Amino acid sequence: MTGREAADRRRGLVCVAPTVLALGALTVYPGVWVLWLSLQRRIPIFDVSRFAGFENYAFLAVDPRFWSAARTTAVFTLGSVALEVVLGVAAALAIHTQRRGRRLALSLLLLAWAMPAVVAAKLFEWLYHPAAGLINVALGRHAVNWLGDPLVALPAVIFADVWRTMPFVAILCYARLLAIPADVYEAAQVDGAGRLATLTRITLPLLGRILLLATLFRTLDALRAFDIMFVLTGGGPAGTTETLTVYAYRALFQTLQLGFGSAVSVVVFLLVMAVAWGYLRLLRAGAVTA
Amino acid sequence: MRVALRRAAHRSLLLLGLLAVGGCAAGQESGPVTLVFKYARILGNADPLPALLRQFEAAHPGVRVKGEALPWTSDDQHQFYIINLEGRSPGFDLMMLDCIWVPEFARAGWLLDLTPSLQPDELAPYFPSAVASATYGGRVWALPWNFNVGLLYYRADLLAKYGLRPPETYEELVEQVRRIRAGERDRALDGYVWQGKQYEGLVVNVLEAFWANGARLLAEDGTIFPEPARAADALRFLRGLIVSGVSPAWTTAADEELSRRAFGDGHAIFLRNWPYAMDLFEGKDSAVRGKVAFAPLPGRARGERGVGSTGGAHLGVSRRSRHPDLALALARHLTSEAAQRAIALGAALSPTRQTLYRDPELMRDHPGMPQLLALALAGRPRPVTPYYLLLSATVQPEFSAALVGVKPPERAIAEAGTRLGFFLEAVR
Repeated sequence: MTGREAADRRRGLVCVAPTVLALGALTVYPGVWVLWLSLQRRIPIFDVSRFAGFENYAFLAVDPRFWSAARTTAVFTLGSVALEVVLGVAAALAIHTQRRGRRLALSLLLLAWAMPAVVAAKLFEWLYHPAAGLINVALGRHAVNWLGDPLVALPAVIFADVWRTMPFVAILCYARLLAIPADVYEAAQVDGAGRLATLTRITLPLLGRILLLATLFRTLDALRAFDIMFVLTGGGPAGTTETLTVYAYRALFQTLQLGFGSAVSVVVFLLVMAVAWGYLRLLRAGAVTA
Repeated sequence: MRVALRRAAHRSLLLLGLLAVGGCAAGQESGPVTLVFKYARILGNADPLPALLRQFEAAHPGVRVKGEALPWTSDDQHQFYIINLEGRSPGFDLMMLDCIWVPEFARAGWLLDLTPSLQPDELAPYFPSAVASATYGGRVWALPWNFNVGLLYYRADLLAKYGLRPPETYEELVEQVRRIRAGERDRALDGYVWQGKQYEGLVVNVLEAFWANGARLLAEDGTIFPEPARAADALRFLRGLIVSGVSPAWTTAADEELSRRAFGDGHAIFLRNWPYAMDLFEGKDSAVRGKVAFAPLPGRARGERGVGSTGGAHLGVSRRSRHPDLALALARHLTSEAAQRAIALGAALSPTRQTLYRDPELMRDHPGMPQLLALALAGRPRPVTPYYLLLSATVQPEFSAALVGVKPPERAIAEAGTRLGFFLEAVR
């Protein structure tokens, strides 16, 4: 190594140091601390602090409320992401084929996406209002107990989430559609491909990579979903809309059980990491091209 | 370039240093004293608080009182307090506290023990149950500020039309709902509305059903659900109200406001709610103006008499306050008879001092005050324990599960007991 190379190397290390330090201080240190907390029974305001090994995790393993929250998280994630992707692609295609009003449609989509989750949740709280809500007024005699029925509440929450975040998928897809050169479609037309064949053989494969990215973002967000159900139902009825993050919040911030709450957070963290790792492998493997 | 950077860095360091010095200096000043009072903004015709704070300043030259608003919901307020108090940043001297937090905050060492500063009879004018919820371990930690008790509102016009008196038992209430609805033939008219959403209000409603049925959530010796069969029976009765249609299906999503609006729009015969609702029912554009009265909550046939759960806010002094005497003086000023009268007139909050319920000026505005006094005196507090929030957060989904019918009441009670056992074993 020449002196110049060594100097370059040093400079590189110096340049990267702030990032490494920031990540270490803001991500690694708290992460390790939460892991350590999760191995304790710790309730600071009552001066409880003792090492408990895997006691918290052992309780979680047989805790029906934890498994119910895990199931709710899974259903919420699968349901909302699937609907968002399907509706998002449909909306992008619809806008793409539109000749007039594209800008207006895009602005409306962005409006829903730009709305803070809590505001959107409040809006849906009124829509779902059992007596005065727009939906039930329209349904008339067949009014539904949207947020108070254990079978309906979770789908109602999923719908509110889909309404808010579908535009994210739609706009990403729309941007990709704009980048597909027109001659690809012309060639398909010359070869006699019908509309369905064009969609399934050309458009969707070309959307693949951006869809995978959008799905990755949406899945990670959905796994950590909190605000929409916290405002709409507070986790009820019967805990049917309580996700793992809501459960962790209740333990950590409402009852200050730092050890037990951290154990729930660690589970959420591992879940998110595993899913992210799976997606990244898919992306890297180039399973989807374009 | 490098020199310029270094100079900028020096400058910012210097600035930081100055800020730190300034911060310290501000803490040691001997001039005017500033008291910080944390409270939730009051809804109502006019917020009487600012005027009351100015009065205190006028009586204490050199003292400035800063009223700072708390977040809106009780849960957010609690979170604000525990983060700030546990983090040892005493940004305030006097705090408004939901009465269910007092034992928790006292046990955590965040509140100043007021017992040595109190005059022998100072607490006598207050409701005993309000004083009970401000007391923990035989010491007094806060002064009762405003008071709440669960009431049964009813449509006096409808009951009179069918020659009925307000029900003394739930069984009677169910019968009256049947009769009135059969006579009115109004599909939009619900029977009895109350709070069944999964939140603190549900716990209050279930506790009232427990008490009417001779059951408790927590015994004095710390036993959880000392009468499990009676507790399960009370839950089954509440579920029965929904199944039979006496209470609408949306009760399982109802909080105070949702149920208050349904009743206020004239769509229900009975409502369980707090005293604040009366002012709104008597408002100028209310659909039920002049048609509403209130009575004690019903009991159960062959059971106990009905008792409303009490609630309300207390004023506590932070143990880290640098002016504890002044903070206590402010608490005394705000809980004084004159201040509570002003608050009761300007906002729909009921006083904690019994004499005010027979106060001529207040009775002119609120003719129901003497009747409210009897109900408030009979009211019962929720379990007074430092672990109340843990208790409540744990039982909420179980009670809700029993109400919506996804769990048999016995199992809901048993599972809530198991979970509480695990959590409480750590703190006892």
